Amino acid sequence: MARNIRGTWIAAVLLAVGLVAAACGSASTTSTAAKSASKSSTSPTSSTASSSSSTGVTVETPPSASLTETGSTLLYPLWNIWAPAYEQKYPQVHLTTAGTGSGTGISDAATGTVDIGSSDAYLSTSQKAAHPTLLNIPLGISVQVIGYNLPGVTAHVKFNGKILAQIYEGKITSWSAPALKAINPGLTLPDIPIVPLHRSDGSGDTFIFTQYLSKQTPGGWGTNVKYGTTVTWPSVSGALAEQGNGGMVTGCKKTTGCIAYVGISYLSQLLGDGLYYGELMNGSGNYVLPTSSAVAAEANYFTAKTPADGTISLINGPVPTGYPIINYEYAIVNTQQSSASTAKAIRSILEWAITPDNGNSSKYLSQVSFQPLPPKVVAQSVKQIAQIK
Amino acid sequence: MAVIGEPDRSATRSRRRREVVFRMSTLVALVLVVGPAAWILLGVVLRALPHWRWSVLVTPTQGAAGGLSNAILGTLALMAGVLVVAGTLGVLAGVFLSELAPVTGRRWSVTGILHSATDVLAGVPSITLGFVGYLALVLALHWGYSLLPAVLVLSVMVVPYIAKSTESALRQVPTSYREGAEALGMRQGYALRKLVLRSAMPGVATGLLIALAISSGETAPLLYTAGFTNTLPKAALIHHPVAYLTYPVWNFYDYPTPAAHYLAYDAALVLLALVLILLIAARLVVARTQRYADR
Amino acid sequence: MAILGGATGAAPPASPVKAMRRASLARRIATAGLAHESRVWKIGGWLAASVPLGSLVFILVVLGHKAWPSVIVNGTHFFTGSAWKPGSTYGTTVHTHGFAHPAGSSYGAWPLIAGTLQTSAIAVVLAVPISLGAAFALTERLPGWLSRPLGFAVEILAGIPSVVIGLWGVLTLGPILAQDVYPAIADHMPDVPVLSYFRNPVGHGEGLLTTGLVLGLMIVPIITATTCDLFSQVPPLPKEGGLALGMTDAEVARRVTLPWVRTGIIGATLLGLGRALGETMAVAMISGAALNTISPNVFGTMGTIAAAIVTQLDSSFTDGTGFATSALAEAAVVLVVITVLANLVARLIIARSARHGVPVGRAG
Repeated sequence: MARNIRGTWIAAVLLAVGLVAAACGSASTTSTAAKSASKSSTSPTSSTASSSSSTGVTVETPPSASLTETGSTLLYPLWNIWAPAYEQKYPQVHLTTAGTGSGTGISDAATGTVDIGSSDAYLSTSQKAAHPTLLNIPLGISVQVIGYNLPGVTAHVKFNGKILAQIYEGKITSWSAPALKAINPGLTLPDIPIVPLHRSDGSGDTFIFTQYLSKQTPGGWGTNVKYGTTVTWPSVSGALAEQGNGGMVTGCKKTTGCIAYVGISYLSQLLGDGLYYGELMNGSGNYVLPTSSAVAAEANYFTAKTPADGTISLINGPVPTGYPIINYEYAIVNTQQSSASTAKAIRSILEWAITPDNGNSSKYLSQVSFQPLPPKVVAQSVKQIAQIK
Repeated sequence: MAVIGEPDRSATRSRRRREVVFRMSTLVALVLVVGPAAWILLGVVLRALPHWRWSVLVTPTQGAAGGLSNAILGTLALMAGVLVVAGTLGVLAGVFLSELAPVTGRRWSVTGILHSATDVLAGVPSITLGFVGYLALVLALHWGYSLLPAVLVLSVMVVPYIAKSTESALRQVPTSYREGAEALGMRQGYALRKLVLRSAMPGVATGLLIALAISSGETAPLLYTAGFTNTLPKAALIHHPVAYLTYPVWNFYDYPTPAAHYLAYDAALVLLALVLILLIAARLVVARTQRYADR
Repeated sequence: MAILGGATGAAPPASPVKAMRRASLARRIATAGLAHESRVWKIGGWLAASVPLGSLVFILVVLGHKAWPSVIVNGTHFFTGSAWKPGSTYGTTVHTHGFAHPAGSSYGAWPLIAGTLQTSAIAVVLAVPISLGAAFALTERLPGWLSRPLGFAVEILAGIPSVVIGLWGVLTLGPILAQDVYPAIADHMPDVPVLSYFRNPVGHGEGLLTTGLVLGLMIVPIITATTCDLFSQVPPLPKEGGLALGMTDAEVARRVTLPWVRTGIIGATLLGLGRALGETMAVAMISGAALNTISPNVFGTMGTIAAAIVTQLDSSFTDGTGFATSALAEAAVVLVVITVLANLVARLIIARSARHGVPVGRAG
């Protein structure tokens, strides 16, 4: 009797599983049918032919498609400017953007849950090994600033990698610490505790910030903590973890004494919130502000070195006038797409984004203080984009 | 009702003092429950209303700004899915546990195990359900962020709730109904449908409404199953992400632009309105039944 | 009716006959269906009632499978270690016991486990007395026209989505506590055991106590509603008897009502505890979402298992070896085990006292 009941029970469970599986089967057919009959855009299609620009980048005319982008919160404001502009030109495409952190951008592109992942960090060797069909395609050049909330201090405080590392290790805990005073002569820093903010999500900003710390203190941070989109933050009393660049700015705004690494695309919000940003020591030992000329100087040095796959760190270069934390913003895309039409739509968006008279024009980039890609890197990105099939 | 009298005159001073303290503390406790509820509601409403635009209801999200029409429709689609999947499974399970399951009286009977599993599942945190949905449905089955995995995860979450409320509603149907049906020669299934379930309908409906309220306010299981999109929901079960109302709250609350901030509060306001409507509907169902029962 | 379908005889046009045959077939199926209705109900019921069990098994299998590398590589360190170390995903990959993971990665979940238990403990300690008091007021003290809307307010509190409570907690409650309330407490606390945990620094409103408070608020409606049900099931006679003997309300509550529903209250408390242990969004917004920090006092930032999963899961796939996801899966298994244990203990207590015949009023 008991065995009988157990038998029935097992059969019931198996049946239930079978039913669910059957439901899945029918579900997928519905969805493919629905896919072709979706998209109901009423606005007229503006162009039918591919538009070719003076720089030799051809923006393909995309088929009707609904695409998703997720990842870097640093690139997010730019995507939110790019997407409407692109959709205005190609209304048959709909792009959903999300600022979830570069870690998610890389992850979701790897798992195939989004079409375009955005990242301030290039792919690691182990990621490339696990997902050999992923590309990291440079889209633009970005900068990171070190922001702080010190009421009354409207000058640029000087920082270097050693001091920042000690702050994030909990070894320097006050704004009036001797080490900070020593490199900031003539600046009155208040005697309040430093509250270091770091990102709780996997972040390209964490990647480039910790890479700066590692390169400036190879024996310290570079050995103990190293760099990555997520690192093991030393436990510092009072330190706060924030979600996204937005969380960093919002968190710093309400926390007197905070220090935060923030992408340049949030500079206007940062300054609007009464915060300020620092001068950083570069690879030659000079303190430099993130001006466009300092960024351009650093970027120029690395342009020739940029390999075909775009994987290169632009941090802490030896240029005397260069700002030390800049990076390529990447689109992380799988070369093998589920359908040719999706692939074409992705190619079209990316081609549009890197073209100097479209997405890479200062009309868009200046709103987020980005620098355009150098022509050499544009040409390399074009070649990478062409691999998306 | 208990007759609450004044304490006896012979009560000592300390007893009387204790009584006063007791009465005060129960009222203070009540204030501590109702006060924060009002504070949360008012806090959200007062921060949302000054910037409220009705256009939020009909425009889709655009980046970290725009409206909520995509999220509102997405949440409704998810609720419809939950109603179909979890409603069917939950009511059936409730009927089975109350009416059809073999009663053995032994501790480790199959019925007992199914019962316990229902209770245990009700206690499993929703984020772990989302985790499993993400690993198994979104990734392993390649469904991507889409409606079906989200509906399935939400359904697993609320099935125990619907099963329990259905079961207790059925238990309140007098045994004489079932006996009468049997005496009239009705088949058990027919009697169940026409008689027992029908009289338990208000209780079942209340359970369904509250289950919908629970699932409309969920975030954790949806982040990893539904994804998010600015487009309106498509007639597709898989491969197309679905928007939902809790997403803008979670993603835009600390984004440093006023537009994003407003959107987070607008979404919270719409969510509260939705939940409130569902709860009031559930109350009305109960009230109507009680009125009939009193007659 | 069925006879009509059968008595076709010499049928002139073919189509009506076919239609009739079809109709009769449908009817026969329907009749057969009705005849088998009981069986349909039974089989459907079996399947549906097995869904919770099947889901539980499925959850444990999926999570367990994913967690296995972490279980083997991290071993007991997972429970005792206090650093959640993803290692360098940009460094080399090493192999331990045959499982690939980034060099330097090792996961210790003790701060998360401790944080989960701490916040839930604060929540339960705060919520139980408040819920009992509120339930007394609602069922025993207030007239119906007042207790009914207030009862609905409790229901609304239960229905407010946790992300909305988190929004309120982090933008409204937290700043008020950090600016006005916590300093007042911290400045006056003596440096003696227990109370020293309430001393400075007070932090910024995101942290252990704020999270505990908000979680308490979230479980209050669960415990209150259950307790109200319990109280209203206590028969009036013993209570009236107590009053007639000259007992005060407080004495009736302590000596009659509470003993009557004791086990039910334990069950309700554990239900609330289960909710607090697994609460995710509000905690992720309010706790500070730390991974490696056990707060040195009640004001500091910390994290819980659930919050760690929701904030780390999507970016964990940046670890190409899958080890970071594996560690999160093990954390999820731990969370499921803790909540299920709380649940089972609750059921055991209730079942045991039910056998001992403590009168828990039951309607039918």
